[in-house]
Amino acid sequence: MENLQEVGRRAVEHAKKLAADEAEIYICMEKQTSVKFVGGIFASRGGAVKGIKGSLARIGERWIKKKGLPIISSGTKAGVGIRAVVNKAVGFSSVSSIEEKRVLEAVEEAVNIAKIRPPDPNWKTLPEFEKLSGQGGIFDDRISNIDVEEMLGLCVDGCVCGADFDKRITNALSMVSASAISFGVVNTRDVEAFDRGTVFSAIMSFKAKSGSDEVSAADFVYSRTFIKEMRPIAINGAKAAVECLGRKALPEKYVGPVVFENMSWSELFLTIFTYGISTLNVQENRSIYKGKTGQQVSSESVSVVDDGTLPEGIGTAKIDDEGVPRQKTSVIEKGVLGGFLSDNYSAKRENGKNTGNASRQRAFGSVAYANQPIIRPSNLILKSGKGDLDNLVHELKEGVLVKGSLVGSGHSNTVTGDFSVTAGTAFKIENGAVAYPLKPCTVAGNFYESLKAVLAIGSDSKNFGNIICPSVIVDKVVVST
Amino acid sequence: MDSQIEDLMNKAVNHALQIGAVFAEVRGEDTIRGNIEAVDNEIRTVSVVRNIGIGVRVFHGKGNGFSFSNVLDEENVFRAVDLAMKIAKASTKRTLVNFKLAAVKTVEEKKTTSVNKHPREVSIDEKKDLCLRQCQTATAANKQIANATSMFGEYHGKICYTNSEGTKVSYEPLLIGLRIACVAKKSNVIVDASNDHGGSVGLDAFEDASHTPEKIAEDAAKWALEKLKAKPAPAGKFDALIDPKLAGVLAHESFGHLSEADFVVTGDSPLTGKIDQKLGTDIVTIIDEGLPEEGGYKIHFDDEGVPCDRVEILKNGVLTHYLHSRVTAKAMKMKPTGNARSQDYSFEPIVRMRNTFFDAGKWKPEEAISELKNGIYAINTAGGQVDDTGTFLFKAIRGYLVENGELKHPLRDVALTGNILELLKNVDAVCNDLKIFSQPFGGCGKIDQRAMVGLGGPHIRVKGVLFGGTG
Repeated sequence: MENLQEVGRRAVEHAKKLAADEAEIYICMEKQTSVKFVGGIFASRGGAVKGIKGSLARIGERWIKKKGLPIISSGTKAGVGIRAVVNKAVGFSSVSSIEEKRVLEAVEEAVNIAKIRPPDPNWKTLPEFEKLSGQGGIFDDRISNIDVEEMLGLCVDGCVCGADFDKRITNALSMVSASAISFGVVNTRDVEAFDRGTVFSAIMSFKAKSGSDEVSAADFVYSRTFIKEMRPIAINGAKAAVECLGRKALPEKYVGPVVFENMSWSELFLTIFTYGISTLNVQENRSIYKGKTGQQVSSESVSVVDDGTLPEGIGTAKIDDEGVPRQKTSVIEKGVLGGFLSDNYSAKRENGKNTGNASRQRAFGSVAYANQPIIRPSNLILKSGKGDLDNLVHELKEGVLVKGSLVGSGHSNTVTGDFSVTAGTAFKIENGAVAYPLKPCTVAGNFYESLKAVLAIGSDSKNFGNIICPSVIVDKVVVST
Repeated sequence: MDSQIEDLMNKAVNHALQIGAVFAEVRGEDTIRGNIEAVDNEIRTVSVVRNIGIGVRVFHGKGNGFSFSNVLDEENVFRAVDLAMKIAKASTKRTLVNFKLAAVKTVEEKKTTSVNKHPREVSIDEKKDLCLRQCQTATAANKQIANATSMFGEYHGKICYTNSEGTKVSYEPLLIGLRIACVAKKSNVIVDASNDHGGSVGLDAFEDASHTPEKIAEDAAKWALEKLKAKPAPAGKFDALIDPKLAGVLAHESFGHLSEADFVVTGDSPLTGKIDQKLGTDIVTIIDEGLPEEGGYKIHFDDEGVPCDRVEILKNGVLTHYLHSRVTAKAMKMKPTGNARSQDYSFEPIVRMRNTFFDAGKWKPEEAISELKNGIYAINTAGGQVDDTGTFLFKAIRGYLVENGELKHPLRDVALTGNILELLKNVDAVCNDLKIFSQPFGGCGKIDQRAMVGLGGPHIRVKGVLFGGTG
C-alpha cells in the first residue's frame, strides 16, 4: 500500500509540473482467483450423449469420482486511472501498470486530452479532503491467501451436493471466486485516501430434466468473508431446478398480482431503479423522478436506503472511488421520494450533497482503474417487511410466483421503466398455494408503476452484491406463456 | 508493442518448458481503447485506456493452467508461469477430461492493418467533432428531443502470440464506431431511439453519404419522434419480419452461443449430438467468420494462434459444425475453427464467436413484407439474452404493426420471446440484403469476459413468434 501511495504522489506531482489545474489518480492492485467447475459423469443420466461425456461415461456410474471440467484463472492486476483538469476540462487516461514510466506517460496523455477539450461549465473542482471515519476495510486473510486447490474443492463439493439432491439433476456448474483489492485516490486537493477489502462469491447452477422438460436454476452468495460450506447454496440451486419440472402453459394471459422472489425482483430493481435515482440522470432529463422529490412515488410499504457504511456490505468501504467518505442516504421513505445518489461532478454541478456514490465499474472483467467514476449504489437496501416467500404466496387467491434469474431484465427500458422479461422458473398460484410450474413465461409491466402497486414486502432479504432486497408482491403485472 | 515484451514472451515459453510443461503459450497485448462522449452538444468524456500485459497458459498432466501479469519484468512474468503450472497440477487431479490440443500447422505470420484514416492517425479534435455533429443534428431536429448522447469509440493496437510448437503470429486489431442515442419527450411520455455505424474501417467510413454523423443522428431522431406516437406492442403470436440487425442478434445470441463447443462437450447445449440433423427450414444458413467481406470486426488469428476460418454452422437448415478451440476440437475429434478468444491478456481463451450472421437468401425485402398479412416488423435491438436451453428474449428497438403487407403504425417496446430451435423451423423467407455490423461499445458477454464481435443477416421472416407486451 505504501508503494501505491508513493506512485500516486508522483503522478500528481507530475501533473502539476505539466500545468494541470487539478489532477487525480486512482490506483489499485487486485489479486483475483476464479475457479469454475463443470460437473461431469452424472450428466449421462439423461441418456447417451456424444462428445466427451459419451466417450467417458457409463450410464449409472456414480459421479462420486468428483471429477469434471475445472477452469481456473489466477493473477494480479495493477493499474492507474488518471483525471487531469485544465481550464475546467477533464481528460482521462489509464494504463494497466504501476511502473513509474508508464504511469507518468498516462499522466501526460490525460493532460493532453484535457488541453484539447473545451471547458465544461458544469465542472467545479475535484473532491476536497474530508476526514474519514473508521468504517470500511473489510479484509479477510482467508480470502486473500486462498489456495486454488481449496477453491476447486469447494466447487466440487457444491456440484456433488446438488447432483446427489435429486436424480433428475443432469448438469451442474459451480463457480467460486476470491478477490483481494487495495485501492486509493490521491488528488491535488489533499485527498490521499486508501482502503482495502476482500470479496468472496459462489454460484451453484443446475439443470434438471424430466420427460421433455429441462429447467435451469441457480443460487449464489456474495460475502466479504470466506464461506466454507457450499452445501446450502447447492441444495437451493438444485431444488429450484427440480421443483419446476413438469411445466405447463397458462390457460390464458394473466393480469394481476405477481409474487417476485427476492432474486427476480433484485434484477429489475438494480437495472431500472438505480438509473432513475442517479442525480446525473435527473439533471439531464433521463429520470422519471425529476421534480418529484417529496412526492409519493410508491406504495407506503416501500422504503429504500443506500448505505455505504453497512457492516459486511459488498459496497462498504471507507471511501468511494473518488476518495469521498461512503455514507448512508435515504432514497424513499414510506413511499415518499427523498434524495438521489450523487458523485462529485453531479453534486457540485447544482451545489447539492455528495452522497459518496462514485463507482468505477468492474463488471465483466473490466478493471476499476480503466473506468471513470459513475454514480452507482453502494449497498441499496429495500427495507424488508413481514413473512417469507410461502407467506406471500399464501396471501394470494390467484397469482403467479416468479422465481430465480430473469432473462432480459438487463434490456429493460431504464428511462421509462418498461420491462418485459422471461421467467424460466415460475409457478401458478391458486387458493394461496403453488398449483403448478409454468412454461417459460413473459412477465411484463412498468417498474415505476409496479412500485406504486406493491401489495406486500417479505422479510426474506438477501444480499445480491450491491443490492439487498426481499421478495415482494406487485399488482397489475402481465404474464403470458 | 516494444521488443522487450516479445523477448519476455519467448523467455516465458522457455521457462515453462524448463519447469516441466508439455505445452506453453504466451499472449502479449498492447492495445488502446479510446472513447469520446458528447451529451447535448457538449463533450462529456474523452478517455484513453492502454492495456499492456501478458497471459500464459501451460499444459501439464491432464490439466492446464492460466495466469497473467501486467508487471512486465522477468521476475513477475516467471511467477505467472509458475502459478499457471500450479493450477495445471491442481486441475489434473479433478479433471474428467484429458486436456489436449488438436494438432494444427505451425504458423509464422505478421498481419498488419492498413486503412484510410486509421484512428491512431486522426486527431482527437476531429473525432470529437463527429460526436458534436451528431448531437447538433439530433437536437436541432425537433424540440421534443430532450436529450442526445453521442459516442465515438476506437480499439486498436497489436496482439502477439507465441507457443512452444513454434507458432509466432501477430495482428493489428481495429474497430471503430459512432453511435447516438436520443430521448424524446412529450408530456408524460418518454421514449428513446439509437443508431450506430462501425467496423474494422478507417474514419473515412463516416464520409460516405449513408453513414455521415448527420445521417446517423437524423435517423435516430426521426425514430425517437416516431415512437412518441407509437402504440404499445400487442401481446400474442404474430408472423414477424425481422430486420438485419435483429437477425444478427438472433444468429449470435440465440443460436451462435449454443453452437460453441464448450457448451456442447459438457452436454449443456441443446445442439449436443445434433450434427447432420435438420434444425431449420431449407433456406436458413448461419455462418461464423473471421474476415467477412461484408463488414464487421476483422480477426486474423484467434487467441490460440489459429487462423480464423469461415464456419458454416447451419447449412440449408442442417447443423454442420460447432465452433471450436483446439481443446474442444481435440475432445470431439473435430477440426479447430479458430474460435478460441479472450477479452484481453488477463483472460484464458474460451470458445467465442467472431462475426455471426444469417447468410443471404433470394427474397427481396419488399416481397417478404408484401406477403405479410397480419404481423409485426421488428427492427434492431439493444441486445438479447438466451439461456442454455435456447430460450431467448429480444427487445426490438422499433417495430411496426403490419396489415396486408403494409406498415400500419409504429410500436414501442416490442419484445420477442421463444426458443431458437422452434424459431428456425418457422423461417419462411430469407432476403438478399445481407449486412454485417460491429461497433466497439459493449460487445458480447460470456461467463465473465467481453469480446468484440460482428453480427448480421438479411431481412428474415418468421411465422408465429410470441410477442410480449403490455398492450
